[in-house]
Amino acid sequence: MKKNLRWKIILVIAVLCLCIFLAYPPKDKINLGLDLKGGIHLVLQVMTDDSINTETDQEILRVKQQLKKESIAYKSIVKGEKKIGNFSIQEFDTEKEKQLRDLLDEYYKEWDYHVIGNTIRLTTKPNVAAYLRDQAVKTSIETIRNRVDEFGVAEPTIQRQGLTGERIIVELPGVENPERVKNIIKTTALLEWKLVKAGPAANEETLLKDFGGNIPEGTEIIKGDPKRTGGEYYLVDQVAPVTGKDLRNARRSVDEWNNPAVSFSLNQDGAKRFYKFTSDNLGKPLSVVLDGKIQVVATIQARISDAGIISGHYTAEKAEDMALVLRAGALPAEIKYLEERTIGPSLGMDSIRKGLSATLIAFILVLVFMVFYYKKSGINAVTALILNFVILMGALSYFKATLTLPGIAGIILTIGMAVDANVLVFERIREELSQGKSIYSSIASGFSRAFRTIIDANVTTIIAAVFLFQFGTGPVKGFAVTLIIGITASMFTAIFVSRLIFDSTISKKNRKEKLSI
Amino acid sequence: MQIFKKPNYNFMQYKYLAFGISGILIIVGFLNITVGKGLNFGIDFAGGTLIRVMFKDEVSISELRNSLKKANLASSRIQEVGNSKREYIIRSMSLETEEEQKLEAHEITANKIIESLRGEKEKSSLVKGLKDLNSIDENGLAVLLETTFHDNAQKIAHDIISYRVNKEIIQGLDTLGQETGLPREVIEFLKQKTFLGYMTVLSRETVGPQVGHDLRRKATQAAVWALLGMLLYVGIRFKFSYGVAAILTLAHDVLITLGIFSFTPREMNLPVIAGFLTIVGYSLNDTIVIFDRVRDNLKILRKHDFEDILNKSINQTLSRTVITSLTTFLTVAALFIFGGKVINDFAFTMMIGVIIGTYSSIYQSCSLLFVWKKIFKPKRGMGK
Repeated sequence: MKKNLRWKIILVIAVLCLCIFLAYPPKDKINLGLDLKGGIHLVLQVMTDDSINTETDQEILRVKQQLKKESIAYKSIVKGEKKIGNFSIQEFDTEKEKQLRDLLDEYYKEWDYHVIGNTIRLTTKPNVAAYLRDQAVKTSIETIRNRVDEFGVAEPTIQRQGLTGERIIVELPGVENPERVKNIIKTTALLEWKLVKAGPAANEETLLKDFGGNIPEGTEIIKGDPKRTGGEYYLVDQVAPVTGKDLRNARRSVDEWNNPAVSFSLNQDGAKRFYKFTSDNLGKPLSVVLDGKIQVVATIQARISDAGIISGHYTAEKAEDMALVLRAGALPAEIKYLEERTIGPSLGMDSIRKGLSATLIAFILVLVFMVFYYKKSGINAVTALILNFVILMGALSYFKATLTLPGIAGIILTIGMAVDANVLVFERIREELSQGKSIYSSIASGFSRAFRTIIDANVTTIIAAVFLFQFGTGPVKGFAVTLIIGITASMFTAIFVSRLIFDSTISKKNRKEKLSI
Repeated sequence: MQIFKKPNYNFMQYKYLAFGISGILIIVGFLNITVGKGLNFGIDFAGGTLIRVMFKDEVSISELRNSLKKANLASSRIQEVGNSKREYIIRSMSLETEEEQKLEAHEITANKIIESLRGEKEKSSLVKGLKDLNSIDENGLAVLLETTFHDNAQKIAHDIISYRVNKEIIQGLDTLGQETGLPREVIEFLKQKTFLGYMTVLSRETVGPQVGHDLRRKATQAAVWALLGMLLYVGIRFKFSYGVAAILTLAHDVLITLGIFSFTPREMNLPVIAGFLTIVGYSLNDTIVIFDRVRDNLKILRKHDFEDILNKSINQTLSRTVITSLTTFLTVAALFIFGGKVINDFAFTMMIGVIIGTYSSIYQSCSLLFVWKKIFKPKRGMGK
């Protein structure tokens, strides 16, 4: 045997072994998509406007305080209605314009401002807004990951769609109850303790009767959560002394009547503030507000420092979930669902079963046809095909690509198309033979002449698959991946391996033997 | 064995007939899509909700329609899977609520559909505190079993759920006992504490309108870029005129397949789009092989006229075209027949695509190249 040939054979066997090593056992090594193993696929949109709004609100509060400190008079501060991320200070004391400008230059570098007469308009700088949006998405991903981890999902995928997108893809294999998980993910979980000034009242008018129909400075109206309270209106302080950010831990427990409740503990700083706050307001009603809805109102009966209980007529499951989201932290912005797909495990199992049998049948059909049509050379092609399949599996597991149902379709299609390279070569060899050339030179020129055709023909299919990969989501991406890998591998097996088999079976024997093709 | 011993058919002489047939097919398809029945866009593109359910016993479509009608869900479409009488796909796409709340609204519709299909009998069982063995998850079942079977609970629950996953739905507790070999006590326990739900949800998908809109844009972009990429590749490797003929050929394939598709009740969904893009790649593959031979033959057979060279090239590659199409068709047909319902639309698209692709590489690609050259280079150099 030629030395050259031996090295080629060793190379092919090495590739084969490597791929088997990579892909065996396939059950553990091949990553199955949700459509095959069952689970939930969610696409969420982070409403990043929220985070800019929150930032604006905080800035307005800061500006108010500073203007007061510097004693610059103004009539009002108005938040922009149409566009987000801007507000204006109206009818300020024009004599102090210089002072105001200096103040803004020094402390509000993230805002652009324009003075029009006695009104000054502040707008977030575009790069700052972009930064805020980006942060909102990143924090959301972090928070959702915490929540999903707490919920106990094995191997979840939580990722941003695109590099700068505002969408998040969440994939939770093996989870069957979409409603519960969706609620856990979606809850903003902004927890606040606020002092109640008036209420409960059936509507806003009766609530404000004592205040002459106007909402007093520094307060706001909040509705009770209809599931937890009577759904009445309350007048509460705008500013919460303690919020969910001060939580150290939260877990499910029971209240004094043995009903499910959520117990919490605060960090050192929060505990200090809570102690002072409850000491100052003994005997007054305190509300627990979750995502802008009052959960429960209770009278402060003792000074509370670092631990307490929220009891809001919860079910055990609800208390469990609430503790979970409180532990995991609040979302920086509201989240909307754009897409939801839940695949039950039995449908996935059915798809695997059907996919496998279709693959097997397709393989047998091609095998029978090739051997029937090309005789011994057909076996050559089938060997290349099997090797192609092994390489495909090895590559799938090496690239940690996900095998989906369309991916299986891609494999099946590859079986059909992979023999194409062999067909091209065999047909060329037959042509050469019919022109009366010797077996050896027929094989040599058959391969060399078909080579360019094979490359050209396959590159075009790969071009289509690459764009498909770009365009596709989950399952379709899986299809593009198997198609690309399969076709690339088929070029290697048809040009290199199939040639090798010819060479190693023909070269040593006598030249007069007939080629079985 | 050889299909064609020494093929020498005059394919080119039928070029105008082929143009005519293809033209008619394209126009009929186009008319059906634009003014006729149109294409059925699935929820991937149109937004909406799709639920796959399986019933314990046989149910007729009209029964299902009635229960949906009672819940004011008459606009939902019901489709039987195979001839099972037990497995159905239900879709709902129309909604008249605020744009923004659409996904939530679709969700609510989906919940309503599932609830209305479950029927009254089941509700009363649930009220009694019994658990539905056909929808409970493994952990829930384990918790239930723990009261009596303690340490074994997790394993028993796992066995039962695996059995259910395998069978899609549990038909009867006694058969469950026989086929899993679970002890008598377990079955008796289940008979007391659970009931067998009348229906199980195999999958549910809800897509908001925004996603569908994005998808349409992305699908169009992908198709346009893929075409341009191929035009560029063929243009570089061959000549611009070959690129144009190749692109026209595959546009022909896609249009005819799309037309045929529009006459079926099948829906345009993501896998079908994938099928179309694959046809684009596949069709070009065939065409390239022939053009490659044309390029070779132009060097060898300098004296022949262009049409003759084209014809010879088609004939020389005929075996390969037919055999590759055959193997591809065999595999796609296997997928169509045995691959199951989820991938069926894709397999159908590919099957049509392979047939049309084969026809067009033989009858259209070279003819288009010929006509293009005739129009744009009327005087000199047919061969160049």
